[in-house]
This record gives sequence, C-alpha cells and structure tokens, in this order.
Amino acid sequence: MEGEGEDASKVIHVKFVTKLYPPFKAPVSSVVIPSNVTRLGLSSIVNSLLTLEKPEAFDFLIDGELIRMSLEQFLLAKGISAEQTLEIEYIRAVAPRKEEKPSLHDDWVSAVDGSSPRFILTGCYDGLGRIWDSPGSCTHILEGHTGAISSVAFVNSQGAESVTVATASKDRTLRLFKVDTSESGDSTTRVRAYKILRGHKASVQSVVAEKHGTMVCSSSWDCTINLWNTDESESELSVSGKKRKGNNQAEETQLEGEAETTFVGHTQCVSSVVWPEHDVIYSSSWDHSVRRWDVPTGKDTLNLYCGKALNTVGVGGEGSALVAAGGSDPVLRVWDPRKPGTSAPVFQFSSHSSWISTCKWHESSWFHLLSASYDGKIMLWDLRTAWPLSIIDTHKDKVLCADWWKGDSVVSGGADSNLRISSRISIS
Amino acid sequence: MTKKKSEAANEDQTKEPNRKIVSLVKSQKEEQKVSAKKAKSSKEEEEDLLLDSGIDSDYDGDSLSGSLNSDDFDAGIFDDSEEDDGSNRDTQDGDDEGELVDSENGEEEDGSDDDDEGSEQGEVAEESDSSEDEVAPRNTVGDVPLEWYKDEKHIGYDITGKKITKKEKQDKLDSFLATMDDSKNWRKVYDEYNDEEVELTKEESKLIRRMLKGEAPHADFDPYAPYFDWFKWDDAIHPLSSAPEPKRRFIPSKWEAKKVVKLVRAIRKGLIKFDKPEEEPNVYLLWGDDSTSDQKSKHLTYIPPPKLKLPGHEESYNPSLEYIPTEEEKASYELMYEEDRPKFIPKRFTSLRSIPAYENALKESFDRCLDLYLCPRVRKKRINIDPESLKPKLPSRKDLRPYPNSCYLEYKGHTGPVTSISTELSGQWIASGSTDGSVRIWEVETGRCLKVWQFDEAVKCVAWNPLPDSPILAVAMGIDLVFLNTELGTEEEQQRIEELLRLDNNLPELDEAAAAIAKWLPDKKYGGIKISHFKNLSYVDWHPRGDYISAVMPGGETRGVVIHQLSAHSTKRLPIKMRGLPVCTLFHPNRRGIFIIATKKYVRVYNLHKNGEPIKKLETGLREISSMAIHPGGDNLVVGSKEGKMCWFDMDLSSKPYKILKNHPKDITNVGFHRSYPLFASCSEDSTAYVFHGKVYSDLNENPLIVPLEILSGHSSKGGVLDCKFHPRQPWLFTAGGDSVIKLYCH
Repeated sequence: MEGEGEDASKVIHVKFVTKLYPPFKAPVSSVVIPSNVTRLGLSSIVNSLLTLEKPEAFDFLIDGELIRMSLEQFLLAKGISAEQTLEIEYIRAVAPRKEEKPSLHDDWVSAVDGSSPRFILTGCYDGLGRIWDSPGSCTHILEGHTGAISSVAFVNSQGAESVTVATASKDRTLRLFKVDTSESGDSTTRVRAYKILRGHKASVQSVVAEKHGTMVCSSSWDCTINLWNTDESESELSVSGKKRKGNNQAEETQLEGEAETTFVGHTQCVSSVVWPEHDVIYSSSWDHSVRRWDVPTGKDTLNLYCGKALNTVGVGGEGSALVAAGGSDPVLRVWDPRKPGTSAPVFQFSSHSSWISTCKWHESSWFHLLSASYDGKIMLWDLRTAWPLSIIDTHKDKVLCADWWKGDSVVSGGADSNLRISSRISIS
Repeated sequence: MTKKKSEAANEDQTKEPNRKIVSLVKSQKEEQKVSAKKAKSSKEEEEDLLLDSGIDSDYDGDSLSGSLNSDDFDAGIFDDSEEDDGSNRDTQDGDDEGELVDSENGEEEDGSDDDDEGSEQGEVAEESDSSEDEVAPRNTVGDVPLEWYKDEKHIGYDITGKKITKKEKQDKLDSFLATMDDSKNWRKVYDEYNDEEVELTKEESKLIRRMLKGEAPHADFDPYAPYFDWFKWDDAIHPLSSAPEPKRRFIPSKWEAKKVVKLVRAIRKGLIKFDKPEEEPNVYLLWGDDSTSDQKSKHLTYIPPPKLKLPGHEESYNPSLEYIPTEEEKASYELMYEEDRPKFIPKRFTSLRSIPAYENALKESFDRCLDLYLCPRVRKKRINIDPESLKPKLPSRKDLRPYPNSCYLEYKGHTGPVTSISTELSGQWIASGSTDGSVRIWEVETGRCLKVWQFDEAVKCVAWNPLPDSPILAVAMGIDLVFLNTELGTEEEQQRIEELLRLDNNLPELDEAAAAIAKWLPDKKYGGIKISHFKNLSYVDWHPRGDYISAVMPGGETRGVVIHQLSAHSTKRLPIKMRGLPVCTLFHPNRRGIFIIATKKYVRVYNLHKNGEPIKKLETGLREISSMAIHPGGDNLVVGSKEGKMCWFDMDLSSKPYKILKNHPKDITNVGFHRSYPLFASCSEDSTAYVFHGKVYSDLNENPLIVPLEILSGHSSKGGVLDCKFHPRQPWLFTAGGDSVIKLYCH
C-alpha cells in the first residue's frame, strides 16, 4: 500500500467499493496504490484491507469493465485519467473453488442437465440416462434407448414426488421418464420410459422442455424441429392401437406419441434448440444459421447467419435477449438481435482451440456464460471482458456437454466418461 | 489674268485652304504663308488679304457663289477624273477661287474692305502669337450660340454692328436637284457659323477618311518609322552631369549589412540550407565489369573484351614457398594428361633481374589478339521482367472462403494406415477402411467410432451408397466386395435393406462370362453379400442412383472392370474392349449411361447405353494415373498421377488437359471434388493435402478458375495421406493418413 516509495508519479488514488456483504466489505476510504499493480496485486491489497482469515480472490471493475491487465495499462487503454480518485468495484472472482468427485459413466457422457437444483441428469453413449442427486451417487438409471443418448432435459423438475425427464437419442426417438424422487435408497433404480416419441427420421440431436409447461421440443438430423406433448392421458387415446402392436413384448405399457408441430426451415442438421420463453424457440443448425421460431405460428422470425456450422445455441443475458452460439470453430459468438440493421456478433470470445460443443448462460446473471469445447476445457466468460474468467481444465478429452447447476457449480461431461462438477463459483 | 493666276498659284503653293474643318491639320505651309505675307508688297498683300478673306466675303455676299462655284468647278471635275494628285488640284482650285473671289471682291469692295483688313490683321497677330496650327476662325458673328438667331433673318452682327443676313436656305427639292446635277455636291458641307457652304477638297476628304479609319490624319506620317537614336552614348568623355559623386557611393550600405546579418543568422540557425556540391565518388570498382561502366556504355556498339584472369600470388616472381610445387608434385604433373596438367607452375626468383623473358609472350599475345579478333562477341540483352508480373492474376484467397484450413477433429481408432474413407450423404457419418482389416463408421460431429467390422484382409476401398435412404457400405478387400448393412436407417429402410442384402440359398445365376469373373455369396460373418472376384480388387464406385456398382481389378486386364447390380443380384461384363490396365472408374454424375475408365495413361469415356460405344479419349500425358474425380457438373475431370501431377480436363473443350498442376513432390493418392462448394483437393504420399478453388462457370465461354488455396499438412510424415474426401454439405475435408488417423479440416 505504501507504494509511493520510489516514484511518486506512478501512484493512483483509488477507492474500493463493493456490493458484497460483510465480511467482504472493505472500509470506504481512499488508498494510494502503485499504478503497475495487476489483478493479483489489487486482490492482495483488498485482502489486507479486509483482514480475512483465508485469502479470497477478487475481480475488479472500473466503470463496469473487468480489469484483465495491469492497472496502468487498463487506464491507458480506456483513456481514464489517473489524476482523480478512482472508484474500483470488486467482486469475488468467478472461479471454481472446489472440484467435486467425478462420477464415472460407462461411456462418453453426451448430455447433462443441471436445471434442477436437486439432481443432475446425464445422458450417455451407452444409451442410458442417469440421475445423480449428489456427486458420485446415481439414484436412477433411465433405460430403453437403443442408441446413444444425445440430449436430456427435465420437463418438470418441480414435482415433489416425481420429476419428468425427456431424453433424445440417436435411435431417432425421444423417451419420457417419470422418476419417483421420494424414495431415497442407496441402490439405483432402473426406470423405463412411460412414453416414446417417434417421428424423427434421423438422429435426434437436442431436446428441450418448455419452462413451466408440458411440451418438449426436439431437433434432429432430418432438419426438422418437432414439438411434442408429454401428457399421459391424451396420447394414450390417440395412439393406443399402435402401441399394442409395437411394444407388446414390453412388460409395462409404453405410450407412443407423435409430434404436435413440426418446424421446417433449416436445410441441415438442427444441432441445438433452446426454449427460453413460452412462445419463442431458438435453434442452431449446421446450415450456419441461428433461427428464432414463433411457436404459435411456426414461422421463423429471425435468421442470424454465422458462416460456420453451429453446434450449440444459448439465450440469456440482458433481458434474455442475447444469443450465444458456438460451433465448428473455436469462436463463441454472441449476437444481440435487438440491435437494428446488423447481423454481426456483438461479442466474440476466441480463447478455445477447438470446436465448441456447448454454451450455456447463467440463469441469474446477465454477464456470465460458460462454453465447453473439444479441446477439453470449459471456460467461464463475462461479457465485460474478452478474456475468460476462469478455465476449468479437468477433463482429459473432449467436453461434450456442460451446464450450470444450482447457480454456483458447473457440471460437465465428456469423452473421458466422467461427469465432473466444479462448485463454489461465486456469481453475485 | 494670267499673271495674276501664276501669282496666285505661287501663293497657293504655300497656302493651306482656309477651312474650318481642317483646323486640325498642322502644316508648315501656313507658317511659310505667314512669313511670305510679311514679305509681300502692300498691293500684293491687299490682294492676298482679299484673297484670304475672299471666301469669307463670298459668304458675306449672296448666293452667287453657288452658281459661280459650280461653273468654276467644272474643270475641277474633269481634273478629278484625271486623277491628279491632291496638291496639284488644290492649287488649281485655289487658283480658281482666288480669281473668282478677286472679281467678286472687286464688285463688293466698298462694303467690306476695312473690315477685312482689320480682321486680317487680328488674324495675323493671333497667328504670330500662337504656334498653333489653327487658322483663326473667320467667324464674323462672334462666339454666340446660334440658336439665339434661329428664328431671325440674320445670323449675327459684324464688327460695325450691321446685321449679317442669312443666306437663303435651299429647300429640299433644290438640294436634291443639286445633288442630281452636281456629282460633287456630296462634298459640300454647310458651315453654320459662317452661313456658307464649304466644299471639301479631295485631300480633305481623304484626310477625313483616314481619321475615320483611326490612322494619322496626314498621309505622310509614318507611325512605324524606325527609331533613330540621336544621342551618342559611346564617345561622351564628359559626364552628362557635372555634379560630384555623392557620399553614399563611398560608404558601405547599411541595408545591405542588415540583410547580410539576417542571412548569416538564418544560415547559423539552419533555416537556409545550401545544396552540397555533388561529391565525385573517389572510389570505383577496379575490377568491375566494363559493360556496366557508364562511359563505355555510351557507345552503342562497344562490347568490352573478355577479361583475363587476374594474377594471383603464385604468379608472383617470388611467391611464398607454399606455392612452389615440390619435385614429387612436378613429377606427378608429368604423369597427368595434357589437359589436366596445370598451365602454370610457380617458380621462384630471388630478384627481378633474374627473371628470364617469358617464353610464351609472343604466342600468348598472338592468341589473345586472335581471340579478340575472331571471337564473335555479341551483346546479350538481359531481359528485365519482373517475375511477379508473369504470374497469372488470381483472386485473393480471402475472397474464396470458405475452404478447409484448420484441423479441429481427429478420428482415432484404426491400428493400420487408413486406405479409404467415404462420407455418408447427410454428412453425419463417415466410413473408413484400413489395412488392419477393419471398417469403421465414425460420427463426424464428435469423432466417436460408432461401428467396427473386422475382416481378415486389408481393406482397399469403402464406399457409401449414394442414396440417402439406403445406408449400405460397399467394402473392397482382396478379391471380395462386401455389402454391409450399417443399420443407420429407419425401420422401413432397414427392412428394405435387409431384403436387398439377403441372398438365402438361391444364388443368382450369372452367364458364363460373368460367372468367370465374379461369384455372389452370402457373407457369413456380417450377414451381407459378398462378391468374390477372380482377381484382387482395387477400387469400387457406386452409380449415382445407388443400384449399380463398378469394381476395378487391375490384374484382370481386359476383364478388369465389371458392373454389379445390387437389386437384381447380377454381374455384367462391360461390352468394352479394354486397352491397358484399369485404374479407376467413374459413373457420370448426371448423364445416364456415360462411364469413364482411367487406364494408366489415358482416360476413356464410353456410353454404356449404346453398347459401350467409345465417346472420347483424354490424353493426359501423365506417366501413371492414380486417381480421378469428376466435377458434379459433369464436364470437368481431375486426374491425379503418380508423379505428383494433376490434370484438369474440360471435357467439352479438348482432349488435352486444360491445366496441369504440378504440386506434390510424391505420388498423388487421391483427388476429389466438393459436391456443392467450388473446391477440389488432392492428397499425396508426401503427407500433405492441397485444397484448390475450382470454379466452373455456367457461361461456356469462360474457362474454369483454378486457385490453389491451402496446403494441409497435419499428418505425420510416415505413410502419407492415402485418401481425402469432402464433407458433402460443409466445406470440410477429411483426410485419411498412413499414420492411421483420419483428420477433419474445417473452414
């Protein structure tokens, strides 16, 4: 702190402010620091101000921009005068502080859903879906698929006794499972699907459930997006005859469902769909486009052209309006469709070194999103800086799927057959 | 009268006609006249005066003058026609006038004598006063505005106070008649002040004409007279001014000193810079080539003689000892052939004095002269062309995006070199065959191996059925062609495929010729169909409709190519007389029945619908063809060879290659076109794959545009790249390497 020893001209008067609660609240008083400190230096200054028992990593913001270089360079780059007292806001660094025990699968983990705080749902290349209630403990195995599972989704995770789960597979079907969550035995229960959704002519790539609804939406290699109803009663009436013929060898009766609506428009594999609002679906495709579909009419209302085959799309950010997509190159692009007249991405994050397999926005934060890549890394991004906040490098092979869990953890699965959970990420 | 006339003529010689309009004219005659008048006797003077004022009095008097004048001038008219010079005529005129006036005056003497005299005197005084050329106005009425007398009968008063009456005005008719009668009437001008008509002389009218033209009034005046410098400048020994030299000539100028100070300061400050005198380069290239020196090259024909080799240390008269050959060396020289022997053997002399005369001096100088004289020397013009400008203008690579350039995905699992890959139509799967005997299906998106079939022999070629709804894989290995069910289709498709691939026990009966070549058998291991051939297979190719498949057996010679029909379970020999060993075959992508066979040197095109009629023979000029690919448009063909050359044929254009690309240092193993993007690629045993832009225009006049785009060198150097295939829908390239890895290059 007494940095004015050698060169008095290279000091800056700063004031640390925060929105954090005690014990992370530093006394609001101006301090003099040398201008060449980096984030680490700032962090140690704040730590010494706070006199915490355990040192804590912080990130620093000046005028809403994260500092990712030395303070001097930052001020120079942004053209901020170092004469007056600077107000530096600090937040807890967004980085995982704990690595949970990996949950080993039998094959590549291709899909993960962390939208329910109670469970983690994974899909695996061995055709089984799994439900984990804590790292390493699998409670349910969802069986029935004859091909690799490509995507999983909680349809209704709020139910007290049972949750509904949808899985999509490369065997061209989707299956719906009802999982009884009340029993909490040590053994894993095997669950069969109560409903099979047939209709896609090629591998199903992605499934997503309506928020607070009963519909699921799936996308497939046959270039279509299908909407399905997950209700039990209705579909039984409509397809009861078919069901008898097809699945007579099954001990339990399995319903079959047909697509409610089909959105046609993409010309190649639809790799990913998201359903952020009641009547809006976003989809990304290998035909290099991201489209927004209006659910009631089935028309696409927006078409963002990217130039690369896209594997994943995520919608979130400010007002749930930003679209992030990644694909067959190492660049994660973020569009703002509200911006008139341009279809150029507003942000491009290019720290990965291979294809991007997944990108997911944080549920509550406007700025944070994660991306997983085939280079084995998961990166946490903040829109306020072009550098990754932190890099989770626990996987030994391609990361195929990743998601936020409980708001402060990242769950990810990859070609090393492990589900990894990095927790205690503080996102304010 | 005669005497008088001559006198008058004399007078008139010096007298300018006294007219008011002529007032501008300056002449010496008048001056002379004045002096002459002074010298005259009184009588003469009187006469003269009378004469002078006669004209005045003429007007004073009555209208007589008109008639008189007209009479008088008759002769003048005739004179005019005779074109006398002005002066001559003037004299006559004046003469006549004088005479006439005289007589008139004689009649009127009583009235106006005194007046005339007085006025004359005044006039004389005036004239002597002023050197002006102006003849004094004969105005008798004074300088009064004439409009005062406009309505009166007189025009004013004479000196005695008598009224001077106006002449009677001619009416229009009279004046018209006058102009009609008298051709000279136009010369008459009415003088308002004196109330008389004045007739202009010829000279006066000329004078007026000159003035109107803007020339000098007098005819003798030369505006362009040569300038005569009358002042003698040279030999004036005395100054023009005798004023003494002023002091300022002897003291240095203050202003100059100030200016100098200013300049000096500017120079010191560096504001003024001098051009440095160009320095003569005092060093020059002593042994430089003469042809480049400037002075010599001034002469066009000058050709510098070839330079002699410069002497070295060994040629010194007293070289260091190490240059002197020993006796053994000298002896060894003797053993050498004449041409290998060194021309000069260094010798050592202790002093210059002891050097003998050079024995070859004469001979060598003669040889040198012969050289200079006989050796034809020609100036070689170096062609100065920028090599860059010889390159064809190609569009920038940036503009030709997208094309595969970076590898992000690898498909690992094979244990031997991957010999062949094939992409499924949707682009979701690729199949690969390896020398380890395995055939694998990979998921393109993740790099996961979906299925493995293990065979006993090294796989030569794999090929997906081009139909999207029949995912059948044809695998060639050894002598067998195996159809594998990949089980990737929907249930209905699966049923159909299973039926298609079921032979049961009723083996298809083939005709004799075909049976000798191939045998259809059920594949025990994987439940498909196996066709056993009589020779080893190297290549299979599906017809675009997915029913026929051609198989190539290089060892089969004339029976080296057969076509199998999957739906009918039958085999057909080609109705083609094969020449040379077949290398690969192609079905034309959009013209039915066109079949292309590449042998080692030629590519031949046949029409199978017309019983194998040959259509075209393409001369590649290559040593050995290794692979061939056809543009999806069907008119352009790329042939790769084992010497690393690639030929692009425009089949409509010529049977010769449109372009030959020599890019690979080693054998080209495969070439391929993209289905939709204007891309093609070649892969080679040098472990690289080249990607080219190959745009074919629909305009037939435009030649295909070929631009090399990228060298993909990711595979390890052993084994090379054995196959390359484009992704059917994305601008991506799969390469199969000898290092048992398949790589996907994305844009």
